[in-house]
Amino acid sequence: MNRHHESFCDGVARRDFLRIGAAAALGMNFPLARVLANEAAAARAGTLDAARNDTSLIFLFLRGGLSTIDTFDMKPDAPENIRGPFKPRGTNVPGIQICEHMPKIAGVMDKFSLIRSFAHSNAGHGPADHYMLTGYHPNAAFNAGLLPNNQHPSIGSVIANKLGPRGSIPPYMCLPTMHPSASSAYLGPQSVPFVIEADPNSPAFEVPDLQPPLNVDARRLEDRRGLLAKVDRFQRSIEQRANSGVAQLGVFSERATALMTSGDAKKAFDLHAEPEKIRAEYGRTTLGQSCLMARRLVEAGVRCVTVEHQNWDTHSANFSTLKDDLLPKLDMAMSALFRDLSDRGMLKKTLVVVTGEFGRTPTINKDAGRDHWSRCFTVAIGGGGLQGGRVIGKSDQIASDPAENPYGPEDMFATIYQSLGINPHDEMRTPEGRPVMLTNSGRIIKELI
Amino acid sequence: MSRFGCNGSACHGKAEGQKGFKLSIFGNDPDEDYRAITLQSRGRRISIGAPDASLFLQKAVAAVPHAGGPRMRADSPEYRVLREWIAGGAPFKIADKGEVTGVRIEPERKVLGFAQRQPLRVIASYSDGGEKDVTWLSVFFSNNAGIADVDENGTVATGNSVGQAAVMARFHGQMGIFHATIPRPGAPVAGSGEKAFNAIDDLVDQNLRRMNLRASGIADDAEFLRRVFLDVIGRLPTSGEAREFLQDTHEGKRARLVDRLLEMPEYVDFWAMKWADLLRVDRQALGQRGAFAYFSWVRDSVAANKPLDQFAKELLTAEGPLSEQPAGYFYKVVKKSGEMAASTSQVFLGIRITCAECHQHPYDRWTQRDYHGMRAFFEQVKTKKLGDDEALVAEGSPQVRHPRTKELLNAHPLGTAMPETASEGDRRQALATWLVAPENPWFARNLANRFWAHFFGRGIVEPVDDIRASNPPSNPELLAALTRQLVDYRFNPKSLIRFITASRTYQTSSHPNETNENDEQNFSRAVFRRLPAEVLMDSVSDATGVPEKFAGTPVGFRAVQLWDSQQQHYFLKLFGRPARVTACECERSTGASVGQALHLMNSPAIQAKLAHEGGNIARLATRTTDDAALADELYLSFFSRLPTDAEKSNAVRHLAAHRETRRQAVEDLAWSMLNSLEFVFNH
Repeated sequence: MNRHHESFCDGVARRDFLRIGAAAALGMNFPLARVLANEAAAARAGTLDAARNDTSLIFLFLRGGLSTIDTFDMKPDAPENIRGPFKPRGTNVPGIQICEHMPKIAGVMDKFSLIRSFAHSNAGHGPADHYMLTGYHPNAAFNAGLLPNNQHPSIGSVIANKLGPRGSIPPYMCLPTMHPSASSAYLGPQSVPFVIEADPNSPAFEVPDLQPPLNVDARRLEDRRGLLAKVDRFQRSIEQRANSGVAQLGVFSERATALMTSGDAKKAFDLHAEPEKIRAEYGRTTLGQSCLMARRLVEAGVRCVTVEHQNWDTHSANFSTLKDDLLPKLDMAMSALFRDLSDRGMLKKTLVVVTGEFGRTPTINKDAGRDHWSRCFTVAIGGGGLQGGRVIGKSDQIASDPAENPYGPEDMFATIYQSLGINPHDEMRTPEGRPVMLTNSGRIIKELI
Repeated sequence: MSRFGCNGSACHGKAEGQKGFKLSIFGNDPDEDYRAITLQSRGRRISIGAPDASLFLQKAVAAVPHAGGPRMRADSPEYRVLREWIAGGAPFKIADKGEVTGVRIEPERKVLGFAQRQPLRVIASYSDGGEKDVTWLSVFFSNNAGIADVDENGTVATGNSVGQAAVMARFHGQMGIFHATIPRPGAPVAGSGEKAFNAIDDLVDQNLRRMNLRASGIADDAEFLRRVFLDVIGRLPTSGEAREFLQDTHEGKRARLVDRLLEMPEYVDFWAMKWADLLRVDRQALGQRGAFAYFSWVRDSVAANKPLDQFAKELLTAEGPLSEQPAGYFYKVVKKSGEMAASTSQVFLGIRITCAECHQHPYDRWTQRDYHGMRAFFEQVKTKKLGDDEALVAEGSPQVRHPRTKELLNAHPLGTAMPETASEGDRRQALATWLVAPENPWFARNLANRFWAHFFGRGIVEPVDDIRASNPPSNPELLAALTRQLVDYRFNPKSLIRFITASRTYQTSSHPNETNENDEQNFSRAVFRRLPAEVLMDSVSDATGVPEKFAGTPVGFRAVQLWDSQQQHYFLKLFGRPARVTACECERSTGASVGQALHLMNSPAIQAKLAHEGGNIARLATRTTDDAALADELYLSFFSRLPTDAEKSNAVRHLAAHRETRRQAVEDLAWSMLNSLEFVFNH
């Protein structure tokens, strides 16, 4: 990544050139004015309160399903085949207890709240993922095997569509991979995530293909772009207008050019510039460094970052896997994220959601595991001006069902949209002009406000 | 209750019900629903003495708190019907009514304008001969809401797009269909203005007249050449092949080219890849040896130009040691009898029956009896260890139980009556015989449609594997003719390819005219299709003359030849190569992304191909001193055509301006071609 700071043998600093390059590119298929106009239009549409538009979202998705009965909603008084071996411990909020294996998270409990009466109706990974990432239960035609499989746009796509980019950095990004349900469905190519297909924990981490090859210097790149504008006869042609696939690629070429020339993006992507101390606090794991990267991206202007972390599907050896592997990683990453955002004064403007697609069965199975359970689990949510240090709702004695104030994905999405300044009762339009509600009759979770 | 969404999957219809009140999904199980409404909850839901006090009605109008809100008004006819039913003692069946035997919509079809509204009437016929207007009790669904949407009252509203849509009405498990045709407004245009090359074109033109569209002109030789290479053998022509074809002045050269392509080894690679996607040659599921054996069977079948009916039959009836019957690996990828039935239906019939595993298909006629009747064909399939080999056997009872009624079901194909008794022997034989019979209404039709979609980027039924009454073909006569033709060809795939590529419709230009700029449904012009991941990879390698090296394969091995879908490769992943986890053609993604654009522009791997010492660019830069000739060669290699005069002088100017860095100048020209839409798309 060091090479990004170098000056080149032709004497022109790469970044400077790239700016020039963008100007040159305007002649081809990169009407910057159009991007800016889109942004302005997006800002007009669907925003309740422009002043709140600064709020960003970090969505930490624990794919497979975090066992919340072992972490955020422990049941020490339940029978042994339900409560499991972990013990609860106190947090920095009197009266709230969480798992003993998350001591660092316990220290930032005041910065987020726990919705312990969260529930939805599907305990299959594919549909539940779609439900938790889009707010919509998929219909019968859903095919989880597709990439992407979105029937409805993911939350990041909705945010990108409604609020547009802040500057030259993409509004919606995913790392270290894209979840199959993280795409834009009918919102189209303008709203798909930019995916960093690389492990931020790898020593050689960099965003692939962001810079031209080293032997292509500034002048040469400019030459290439000039040639491309002349050679590509279908750019801005009737063929491009008439073919949806061609128009789509056109959009992405513009985006790619914008990204290459963005100083903000380059700076944000350079994780190696982060002090060693901070990197260590997040934990030298894919999860930890992804969370750190998410903070950097939000700092640079990204509106929604989805961090996906896998292996939470603990059908067997639930307790040893959690204790020895998953919880230590989560404990470092999640606590560092909240503390770091708070230390930088960013937490008020950054909403953080931590959840799996569902929870896990109250009853422990014969393999010392827990199976899928969507009827009751806990979602952790904080920052973005929401109340921290609260427990919202309540599960029954064995965390089998909500005991009071049940909430579901629709409600979570309504609350997130509202916090980001997007009217949750707003409509989206499919390309055919069919109106679709932003949330499927979700209610704002008042206890968080 | 279906109409009001009460028994949908988000409400009381989901598996665990909602707040203790559970209905069967889409009213699939009337007996159970009757019990739930009248008996459960200690009978509190209905109150025969005081109907309006029934919880059932109070919830429906939200007179008491109802999470689903009010679903109807207390002064509505729907409410009145329910109230009268309760007041009348809530009988399971109203005695004087017969069974619903059919549903139809009036009008059945209509030509509509832009932004027009059309109310529909739904008429149910009963077994006692009576008929009744049930519009207000029906559920509506449009297969193409952008062309014509429908509201809950059955009023169709068209948008501003030319095209066709089917609107379905469902009542009591029966369906009716309304066909809307929205032609282009304005003075009629006269067909295509070009004569028909074969029977396909007459039927396409007939539909274009209906839609008031004029087909684009005929593609020139270069446009045809590139398209037909990419579609038939999945690679670009070499500059030599392109030159030869463009210079050929003989009559019939297009047909001769197709004949030649069909005999090339790349034809086998390309179509084997296509079938391997659908039949899921997946190393993760089959292991190295199994996947390779399975793939080899697919590849050998394509190489032998095996008739498609025989191909399907071999796959379905494979039996014995897998080492000798590698087609049987199909049953190792799809492991459960239900999955086998569903995959077979989807791949070979184009019918999705998965919904009917648990309830009546909401948009088609298939019931649980149909699904499990199909499943019974595969119930006997088992694998047995045989040394270090495995054998596929069919044994035991072929009967299955209906999961709800517990009725014992005998195997019977979709849309046929169930036999009274279970037959002896491997039931798959009977299924295969039925499947490939020329009278089978779906098998040939599905294949004809899939082949068509391959050459046009869109099926006559689209999506190709979702053939159902509520998703009709955009041109039924065309699909019927193509189906007949395939049967006449005795399922010979090469004959079908010859027939399709010989049509004027296939040879139409991609350049839109003033009538068809917005038409992507009626085959009035060639649509742009992004090259599949493997084809694009090979095209980059071919045009630069630098082969890609794939792990574990010999040098020169092409991306199209990779039989192992688990092979890790950044480019292929980025451009949407399918992982073969479903039997759906949609698994292959041809969507674009920022990552793709960045990769083509900046990837060191692609730059290395452009700069390679042994590649085409280096060779051209050093050996071809005539700049105009060099431009010709580049255009032929990347775009399969000669440059126009303007393009040539542009290239010559560029080369002249960079005399000292000629090698780089050629690289840069090639870079701009590789990043052009013209290169990335088939058009």
